[in-house]
Amino acid sequence: MYQSKWRVFSNHTILILGALFMILPVWIAFASSTHTREYVFQNGLQFWPGAEFFQNYGAILFDASATKGRVTAIEMLFNSMVLGLGFAIGKVIISMMAAYAIVYFRFKLAVPLFWVIFATLLLPLEVRIVPSYEVVANLGLLNTYTGLILPLIASATGTFFFRQFYRSVPDELLEAARLDGAGPIRFFIDILVPLSVTMIAAIFIIMFVVGWNQYLWPLLMTTDDQLYTIVIGIKQVYNSLYEGGQIPQFPKAFALTIMATIPPVLVVVIFQRMFVKGLVETEK
Amino acid sequence: MATVTLNQAQKTYTNGFKAIHGIDLKIEDGEFTVLVGPSGCGKSTLLRMIAGLESITDGEISIDDKVVNKVAPADRDIAMVFQNYALYPHMNNYDNMAYGLKNRGYSKAEIDTKVREAARILQLEDHLDRKPRQLSGGQRQRVAMGRAIVRQPKVFLFDEPLSNLDAKLRVDMRLEIKNLQQRLGITSVYVTHDQVEAMTLADRLIVMNGGVAEQIGTPIDIYEKPASQFVAGFIGSPAMNFLKGKVSDDKKHVTVGDGVMLDLDHDIEAGRDVTVGIRPEHLELLKDGEGRINAGVRMVESLGAETLAYLDFGANADNVTLRLQGTHQFKKGEKLSLSVPVDKIHLFDIESGKRL
Repeated sequence: MYQSKWRVFSNHTILILGALFMILPVWIAFASSTHTREYVFQNGLQFWPGAEFFQNYGAILFDASATKGRVTAIEMLFNSMVLGLGFAIGKVIISMMAAYAIVYFRFKLAVPLFWVIFATLLLPLEVRIVPSYEVVANLGLLNTYTGLILPLIASATGTFFFRQFYRSVPDELLEAARLDGAGPIRFFIDILVPLSVTMIAAIFIIMFVVGWNQYLWPLLMTTDDQLYTIVIGIKQVYNSLYEGGQIPQFPKAFALTIMATIPPVLVVVIFQRMFVKGLVETEK
Repeated sequence: MATVTLNQAQKTYTNGFKAIHGIDLKIEDGEFTVLVGPSGCGKSTLLRMIAGLESITDGEISIDDKVVNKVAPADRDIAMVFQNYALYPHMNNYDNMAYGLKNRGYSKAEIDTKVREAARILQLEDHLDRKPRQLSGGQRQRVAMGRAIVRQPKVFLFDEPLSNLDAKLRVDMRLEIKNLQQRLGITSVYVTHDQVEAMTLADRLIVMNGGVAEQIGTPIDIYEKPASQFVAGFIGSPAMNFLKGKVSDDKKHVTVGDGVMLDLDHDIEAGRDVTVGIRPEHLELLKDGEGRINAGVRMVESLGAETLAYLDFGANADNVTLRLQGTHQFKKGEKLSLSVPVDKIHLFDIESGKRL
């Protein structure tokens, strides 16, 4: 498509402005996280990085007292990672299997059941959070990773996407596999899963980010600092900002924020490649 | 090596639609049987019933005298080639061919021998490491055939395997399939809607219409003695000409169109209304005045090797097609003098369409 120079220039200007608009707050948070708390307190948010990078990040990562809790950022990152991965992997597996049953097995009520699953999209976590909490509490799963992850891994969205994808897989593949002596489990593992790699990557990315950013559920579920996720940790640090007569921990709160954003960004960057590669490969 | 026997095989879908109305058929060992018919005639359904991909709602299908109605597709010892190849896109061609063997618990060494042998027969040796999408349509179909032959099944089933290929490749692959089948001597059932494929490949042809086998026979039998008007019109290209006719009182002639009299050698009652069928290639062009039939030319199509002329047989008749070898320069409206050998005239019942 032909584009005039002016057009190219204006497009890029808009693009760059948009990018700056998105990146600037993150940059300011980063720059401010590298100063002493006294400096930030006196001079406000900083645009240029200071000299306290290692000092601040080191303290927040490895020293529990820096976050005013009994948990280091490294532990919180680990918890978030467990939650994010468990959440995403669990959702992918459960929704793949649910969709497989709905699409490939002729059982009564398959269609109504699908719509029941689909209808749960209308109900956000917050609606069922009290009964869910009750169930988890009765099962004795409060303050465990299982309790943190298990109630969240059923996914109507994932089931829906996998269902749509399976329906687009030609029936002849199933028939060829049947003639080749592949039973339902073999067909699923040997044919369907490899064909779904792109879908799996896409859903994994989305779900990991959603899981990583979970706030309300982990907050309710965990009373033990050791199980805090980093998103809760940020909140705790901000909470402690105005407690006592000390100078607020602005740089450390910012440092925690920056660290909380890095893993999802990495996941998106890494899996995006796979995702695009998968798209290109199946397209041909 | 195997025989396939169908005994009143029927298929009724759960919505009540009867796709196959009871077919009796015995396919001999090593025979190449072709199911041919228009879309929706049930030919693919019948093939899929033999494969086990569709249930048999009544009657029996046996492979080697063993009833397979309730046998899973994988246990029927058959292999199928699909129209759209149905290759596993994420596996390379080697794995595509090996997959069925793997599932049947063959050792790696055995699989390797068999796959390489099949690849050699099908000239795919250089392509084993590639994925199906890196191959052309013809090569893909060969991989699909490779997947079928590595297992050395009792029966090959082909479901319109050449429909996705271009015309030239289709001719090549047709020969290749015929060649391969003869070499391996495997009982085969082949579904197609293309009558040229049907005629050239078949040892025996089954013309299907509306879930019924209209005629079963060798291609030449079917061409020469079509059992019904449907078969007569379906087999042969251009299609047979059909004209309304009336048998004369002396039973020696039949009148078609605007009083054209044709000789008749049938045992048939006088004065009966019939449908007269004449193949375009059986109309003979004679010198002016010598033929019984005089018809004007409406249109001419020159194909080089042959010429098709569409003739006016009078106001009550459709165009009649004439097919002549070589090139002919006819003018529009030119009167041609024609005749038909008496043994090339087909008569069909007006009501039932059955051959008389």
